[in-house]
Amino acid sequence: MEDVQVVAMLVRRCIAGDAAAWEEIVQTYNRRIYNICYRFAGSGDDAQDLTQEVFIKMYRTLSSYDAAKGAFVTWVTTITRNLLVDHFRKTKQDRMTDSMDSAASEHEDAQPLSEQIPDQSAPPDTRVRQREVSETVHQALSRLSPELREAVILRDLQDMDYREIATALRVPEGTVKSRINRGRAELARLLQRTYRQVM
Amino acid sequence: MPDRTKNDHTSNGMQCVEFDLLLADVLDGVLSGAGLDRFQAHARTCKTCGPLLAEAEAGRNWLKGLTEVEPPASLVPNILASTTGVDSQRLRTMVRAPQPRVSWWEHVQASFLEPTWALVRQPRFAMSFGMAFFALSVGLTVAGVKVSDLRQISLRPSAIRHTYYNVQARVVRYVDNSRQVLEMQAALRGIKRNMNPAEPGQSKQKERKNDTTQQPEQKQDRNYSQTGERLILAGDPLGPSNRDLPVVSVTTDRRFV
Repeated sequence: MEDVQVVAMLVRRCIAGDAAAWEEIVQTYNRRIYNICYRFAGSGDDAQDLTQEVFIKMYRTLSSYDAAKGAFVTWVTTITRNLLVDHFRKTKQDRMTDSMDSAASEHEDAQPLSEQIPDQSAPPDTRVRQREVSETVHQALSRLSPELREAVILRDLQDMDYREIATALRVPEGTVKSRINRGRAELARLLQRTYRQVM
Repeated sequence: MPDRTKNDHTSNGMQCVEFDLLLADVLDGVLSGAGLDRFQAHARTCKTCGPLLAEAEAGRNWLKGLTEVEPPASLVPNILASTTGVDSQRLRTMVRAPQPRVSWWEHVQASFLEPTWALVRQPRFAMSFGMAFFALSVGLTVAGVKVSDLRQISLRPSAIRHTYYNVQARVVRYVDNSRQVLEMQAALRGIKRNMNPAEPGQSKQKERKNDTTQQPEQKQDRNYSQTGERLILAGDPLGPSNRDLPVVSVTTDRRFV
């Protein structure tokens, strides 16, 4: 995923005050962090704010990164996850009134890339249906408990391996696997219920 | 959510806890051989683990359908601005590019005149200006100020002071003599009188305390208006209750002598 030496060099340059190196880090990781934040927080605006916060925290604590302890991406994911958990705790009250039936995300930029690029081959109704399904799954994901959600996001959407997830979440690998299983099953149950209601 | 701790049992040589740990590996396709056979056998027989396998697989398939989202274009510039204080490499190079020389007049025009003119041209501003002009002209007319008189105004300090006192006196007179003010004062007096009816009585009692003559008190402030309003008819037969009434009827406000 990342060349450890290249990343370590980039980090060293950043700490030395090289703005270009920092910009390279931002360009490399902003997409990944934004996606984690978007899937966890559920809204594009929140994801943008949270991504910015993650990078601010990264910038301030970059000197604390130790390449010997783990990959840079794991360190970045850990920071992201911690901020997301903080954000979850802060906005718990607001989310209690949310429901899956609430309006779909109005954030234009939150659309999947595949939907932003016009696809001539797929008919419009198929695209609309895909978009609806995607939005429903996204809404269902945001209804999972944070423990299950973060595990599922890191595994199924970020393709992290169990060891990296265990490091980022600071839990044993067995717990990670169990959470992923439960998260997937819970998501399937929620979606089943939703589609049964629609039918 | 089934309670796996209660339903934990051994089926086909595999416990539910072990099944749970292997489930992720099976879905990832890394389990094979005898281990996979045992797993599948357990899934077929266990009432808890069988549905869990199906649901976890379905959930994973749903999640596979979620594609990566594109971050907003403003994200990277915002991050760079909030961390290093610069917008981006591209913006920095744009700032460093040589700027054409501008004269001081062009600078003033660009920084002050054009924004001001743009503001003035707005209908909202024109409306506000019109209202302010109207209010000013009405105020001057009410105050008796004529534009032609302004030429003859003396700007000596004593003359200004004199004018100030004159205007003040005129305003005070105007306010004091206005009908509304007089009516309001009268109404206030009436309200005050109605609100404190006991006050004259109290003073009267005080006076009586000093009276040592033991004579019945002479009523000084008779309410003639009340007596006057009472209609006394000349032809009215004098009943036992009306024996004290005078014979002559008076319907005016005149005093009885």
